[in-house]
Amino acid sequence: MAGPVKGAGRITQLALLTAIALTIFMAEAQMDPLTAVPGVKLGLANIVTVYVMFVMGPGDALLVLSGRVFLGAIFSGQPMTLIYSAAGGVLSWCVLCLLRKLLTGERIWLVSPVAAIFHNLGQLLAAAAVLRTWTVMAYLPYLVIAAVLAGLFTGVAAQALIKQLKKVQK
Amino acid sequence: MRTKVIALLLLAAVAGSAAFLLLQSGGTEHPVARITRDGVLLEEIDLSRVDTPYSITLEDGSGTNTVLVEPGRVRVSEADCPDQICVNQGWIADGTVPIVCLPHRLILEIVGGGGNLDGGAG
Repeated sequence: MAGPVKGAGRITQLALLTAIALTIFMAEAQMDPLTAVPGVKLGLANIVTVYVMFVMGPGDALLVLSGRVFLGAIFSGQPMTLIYSAAGGVLSWCVLCLLRKLLTGERIWLVSPVAAIFHNLGQLLAAAAVLRTWTVMAYLPYLVIAAVLAGLFTGVAAQALIKQLKKVQK
Repeated sequence: MRTKVIALLLLAAVAGSAAFLLLQSGGTEHPVARITRDGVLLEEIDLSRVDTPYSITLEDGSGTNTVLVEPGRVRVSEADCPDQICVNQGWIADGTVPIVCLPHRLILEIVGGGGNLDGGAG
């Protein structure tokens, strides 16, 4: 899996990763909210996003991310959430692209909290645009703290996943 | 080096956010609840003048929210959206965080002090 897989193999791999991400996303959506502050969650599906970004590349990561976000919005029965997820997803994907070359090897876990902050920021910007008010920015401090904690968790998980799967592939 | 810079920036972001949350004042001296949809003001309630609890039902094409008003505090008691985020948020009594209903584009916030009302109403 470490090298670039082409053709049907790549399609299959991306489809599988999207299915895994979507499953994690849907399972997490069934959990009770962690806090009264909306938007605070672990974001476990991002383990897959980080994995694809660093092992397969930005293009593939965007494919898996958009597939998961689109299907997740439909499956959860709330198409409106697509705007927020997409805004957060695109912004955090951009951040991941920038950090991809900066943080490598054993430091990959550190990208996740940064990407998580920008994911939440993207969501709030989308909410501010939809609701036509900056009032929603009152949530930003809560979401920054939550993003760093959740991001550290998913980042460490992604780092472990990359390491283990490399062993398996050899 | 890069790791340290990014780690420090993260730490600064968390510390800044925590400090902001700890230092902010809700401004509850004269709480006024404002309900807006799409940035348009629907209701403005002077919470210090509420004597008996009552509820308001707000409806539009996207759905319905029921807002419960009590002396000094407000909440969304019912909403016909699937996520129920606004209902789960419970009561708010100061200006720290608003209650936001994303599916219905509704915001319920409290503004403190009389400054936001015209002088005659105070």
